[in-house]
Amino acid sequence: MFKNEEMEINLGPQHPSTHGVLRVKLRLDGETVTHCRPMIGYLHRGVEKICENQSFFQGQVWTDRMDYCSAVANNLGWAEANEKLLGITVPRRAQYIRTLLNEFNRIASHLIWLGTHAMDIGALTVFLYAFREREDVLDINEAFCGSRLTTTAFRIGGLREDLPPGFEKMVRKFLAKFSDCLEEYEALLTENRIWKKRTIGVARLSAEDAIALGVTGPMLRAAGVAYDIRKAFPYAAYEEMDFEVPTRTEADTYARYQVRMAEMRQSARIIQQCMDGMPEGPVMAKLPKILRSEVNEVYHATESPKGEIGYYLVGEKGSLNPYRFHVRAPGFINLQSLPKMAEGGLIADVVAAIGSLDIVLGEIDR
Amino acid sequence: MNKFLRTLLPADIAKGLSVTGKHFRQVFFTANRRKVPFHIVSEYPEVPAKVQPRFRGRLTMLKDEQGVIKCVCCLACEKICPTQVITIEKGKQEGRKMPYPVRYDFEMERCIFCEFCVESCGFDAIILNHQFELAAYNREDFSLGTEGLGQNMFEPSHVGKFSVADD
Ligand code: SF4
Ligand code: SF4
Repeated sequence: MFKNEEMEINLGPQHPSTHGVLRVKLRLDGETVTHCRPMIGYLHRGVEKICENQSFFQGQVWTDRMDYCSAVANNLGWAEANEKLLGITVPRRAQYIRTLLNEFNRIASHLIWLGTHAMDIGALTVFLYAFREREDVLDINEAFCGSRLTTTAFRIGGLREDLPPGFEKMVRKFLAKFSDCLEEYEALLTENRIWKKRTIGVARLSAEDAIALGVTGPMLRAAGVAYDIRKAFPYAAYEEMDFEVPTRTEADTYARYQVRMAEMRQSARIIQQCMDGMPEGPVMAKLPKILRSEVNEVYHATESPKGEIGYYLVGEKGSLNPYRFHVRAPGFINLQSLPKMAEGGLIADVVAAIGSLDIVLGEIDR
Repeated sequence: MNKFLRTLLPADIAKGLSVTGKHFRQVFFTANRRKVPFHIVSEYPEVPAKVQPRFRGRLTMLKDEQGVIKCVCCLACEKICPTQVITIEKGKQEGRKMPYPVRYDFEMERCIFCEFCVESCGFDAIILNHQFELAAYNREDFSLGTEGLGQNMFEPSHVGKFSVADD
């Protein structure tokens, strides 16, 4: 009467726990996943091609819309890649402000991750607390550049404007309460037995596998590899900052949670240092009237909240727009590790694995 | 045995609950519920939302003290716009040396509110105002210009008024 055979199901693309329009094809034996393939491309907009047809200045707005949870980090990568290509040095004050906003962005992105990931697993309360703090970060974004999510925060050569009046007060107010807030999230989750049961030992990805698949960011650091581009190849003002790269060795979902929580603490530390050591001076370099590329090609990688985001720009000497533009999107490459993590596990753990990847489909599909 | 006892004493759950209890206390007992200093959520349509001074809202054209359009048709904004939503037609006006925009079309539905146009304008002829309630029922309502029936580039748009005060 009962036949023992495998069943194929689709998780997504309209599933709330796949964080957008990710479709995962699963083959199940009972509740065990035997085969798992992520299918992407539902949100493809051709960002790379659009940027090739626009000037260096205009391209930045498209990078906002790739990973909309960490738009500032994307802007920073784009601006720095272009500065390399065009041969521009950025004033020191601008570097500091960029670092400051980038770290705020890391906090906002990790808070989104924390809220949605906990909600996927079943802890709804954290979501509301995490979004409360994220709101403050978005207000800081809005005060600086006028927009909350699609920031277009920087310009090639520096910043459009200096910090607005009252900005320092906002930042200090946020920093004063943020560590209490982190403790609040940890009180809700770290010791919680349901959370621990659902995350410890779930979706393991060993360091060898992670490196072989090109996985970067908190995923890699949770496997014990202390690779952070902010330390390895410092950019912006990270060379002058004192911070640690948190790592764990368990390589499971719980370790990734711990790494991200520790990263938020480090981000708050960097913000504090930026605020205290903010140099005076101009925020914009002297630019030529028309931006023309100086060298033929650059690759510039920065550490976005999700991992290594790299911009590869090819521009013939003297050209007005990139001849070829490619983004090494961290989400796209981290997603390739999903079959490794999910196969052999239970179907309910696929959701935990997707959550711990911290993907944004806007960036994966571009 | 020890493990069994720990299952009976849910310290971890109690710790989590204490966070909820703390916030409940703050909002329910200490805060004056009229003044709501602890509330994060605002009663948005009834109470207008505040935006920061640099907020990027809808594109608006400015006039100088004599009520003349400041724009001189240098086309910088048209060129820099990443989504090409600005279309300008150059023209002449009696008694004005500078060119005059006969048509200045702005298709708001495709604008991404990046403020590049304002940045590029050397004559301070345009700004992004603080308006963010920009929904409308018809597509035509998004096409703004220097002229138009009650709907143009100089006044705040009347679309998207969903406040209770309106009806
Ligand atoms: S805000 Fe940006 S998209 Fe909108 S009209 Fe200006 S330049 Fe174009
Ligand atoms: S940049 Fe300013 S002056 Fe030039 S066409 Fe645009 S609005 Fe007019």
